[in-house]
Amino acid sequence: MFLAWSEIKKNKLRFLLITSILLLVSFLVFFLSGLANGLASMNREAIDTWKVDAVLLTEESDKSLYESALNKEVADELDAKETAVVSQMGAIANNGDTKQNVMLFGIDRDEFIKPEVSEGDPTFYVQNGVVASDVLKDEGFKIGDTLELSSSDTELTIVGFTEKARFNASPILYMKLNDMQKIKFGDAYTMNKDIVNAIVIKDKEWDALSLPDNTEIIETETFIENLPGYTEQNLTLTYMIYFLFVISAAIVAIFLYVLTVQKISMFGLMKAQGISSAYLARSVIAQTFILALIGVVLAFGLTLLAGSFLPNAVPIMFDIPTMIIYGLILIVVAILGAVISVWTIIRIDPLEAIGG
Amino acid sequence: MVLELRNAKKTFGEGNTLVEAMKETNFVVERGELVAVIGPSGSGKSTFLTVAGGLQTPSEGEVIINGKELSQLNEKQRSKIRLQEIGFILQASNLVPFLTVDEQLELLNKVKKDNMSKDEQRKLYEDLGITKLHKNYPSDLSGGERQRVAIAKALFSKPAILLADEPTASLDSDRAFEVMELLRNETKSNQTATIVVTHDVRLIKYVDKVYKMTDGVLRLESSAEADVTE
Ligand SMILES: Nc1ncnc2c1ncn2[C@@H]1O[C@H](COP(=O)(O)OP(=O)(O)O)[C@@H](O)[C@H]1O
Ligand SMILES: [Mg+2]
Repeated sequence: MFLAWSEIKKNKLRFLLITSILLLVSFLVFFLSGLANGLASMNREAIDTWKVDAVLLTEESDKSLYESALNKEVADELDAKETAVVSQMGAIANNGDTKQNVMLFGIDRDEFIKPEVSEGDPTFYVQNGVVASDVLKDEGFKIGDTLELSSSDTELTIVGFTEKARFNASPILYMKLNDMQKIKFGDAYTMNKDIVNAIVIKDKEWDALSLPDNTEIIETETFIENLPGYTEQNLTLTYMIYFLFVISAAIVAIFLYVLTVQKISMFGLMKAQGISSAYLARSVIAQTFILALIGVVLAFGLTLLAGSFLPNAVPIMFDIPTMIIYGLILIVVAILGAVISVWTIIRIDPLEAIGG
Repeated sequence: MVLELRNAKKTFGEGNTLVEAMKETNFVVERGELVAVIGPSGSGKSTFLTVAGGLQTPSEGEVIINGKELSQLNEKQRSKIRLQEIGFILQASNLVPFLTVDEQLELLNKVKKDNMSKDEQRKLYEDLGITKLHKNYPSDLSGGERQRVAIAKALFSKPAILLADEPTASLDSDRAFEVMELLRNETKSNQTATIVVTHDVRLIKYVDKVYKMTDGVLRLESSAEADVTE
């Protein structure tokens, strides 16, 4: 530590440069992780709020909520602990000022996915009343707004807002199942009124349930992964983060290696004096640790600061535990970058430093 | 005797390219003794010194430091012997560029016990005339000052053996004489066994014994008794 710290003190500029590069890379990692988290959340926050274990869909839907259509009586055939039916429909809602892509979710009042209303009428189950995702507030939607739908003459009224209600990147409007079915099926309502998209299931032993014909039960996580675009988006960002880990390892490796090569004769002299390779190696590792720690901690603060200045429209959501894990990975990866230098130091022959 | 070479020999390469850098050598030095090894460039002086200092092992024969035969030890153990028993002073750039004079010595405290006390260190600085320089970095020092700091560093760990390879090569004559004077004083006051390699024959008046190296053969030239009468 003594040697490591003395050198940093003496050559401030040199080490400031490497720290700031590490800072920038860490900042980017944190930011991307926030973005990945935010985008994932846009897709899945509603399902996460429901806390369901599995989803029942029709077999031929290929794990897609949109393609699945089953009779809600199927729920009674299932021997699951708790179930809830979901009927879904995409629409464009217009309150007179703003048009917004939304997702209508028809649900049963007595079932567990009924939203907790953060603002407005907590009972909400009124004729053509909807409880809307509170992100719509940012778009100018208010309680009492009348909504025209692109695909129907029926008008809806916002009776309340609820938090964390987005699904596959669209804000949800929760409404009474029956009203929803009328809008969805129009003239064919009577024939289809019991047809819903999915049945969500709360039951740890969902795997053991005996299934009705032509249905398929999938774990919630699998269901989410199959949302259109979800996995692609997530993988892209995750790979970017992994590449940044590799890049920061490479930056540290190259920088430290150059510094080490410059100091070969000095290390040789110290080794001739009897200072052990282990001590010198520890010093290089300590140095890397100090620099990486400073860079990562500053980046951490900077990311949170920058995040607080971003408009709500930017889908960034910082998950502190994830950031801490990524921060630790960055530090570990930086230390791995020092390995080449350590190896170089170990191989230095003290004789060569002396043999002038 | 603190350092002994017994039939020690060092060769490099083999067959046509075989170089006998140091032919069979017997050599002994005692504590409090200052010895010079002179000889032309390429005669094997540095080879002799590095073999004696445990930086390389002899091809044949033995090197014994404080009763320990070096070829019995591995590099890690030899490194420890160098740290505990030997002080090196080299031609130039002996110092760590990013450490102040104080820190150069402090570093030794980090890796080894039983170095000089604060008082002894202060006395050493005074002897060497570097008291005022203690907060300076090597880049702020002149060549002579740097060499004096290098001596301080070598003596700080209270070595039994002090090995100096051309310590005056980068200095002008006055400075060179000064450094030799210092080495002599420190050898006597700290009772180290000191070997100074040089090709400058004017420096031999400071030493107790002079060895001459020619084509890898080390021979005693003169000893103190002869010098005194000069
Ligand atoms: N590592 C080595 N490999 C091959 N030859 C060497 C090596 N070290 C020294 N020599 C040879 O040994 C001889 C003595 O070298 P050296 O001890 O450095 O002499 P001096 O210090 O007296 O100038 C020279 O001919 C030199 O080329
Ligand atoms: Mg030489």
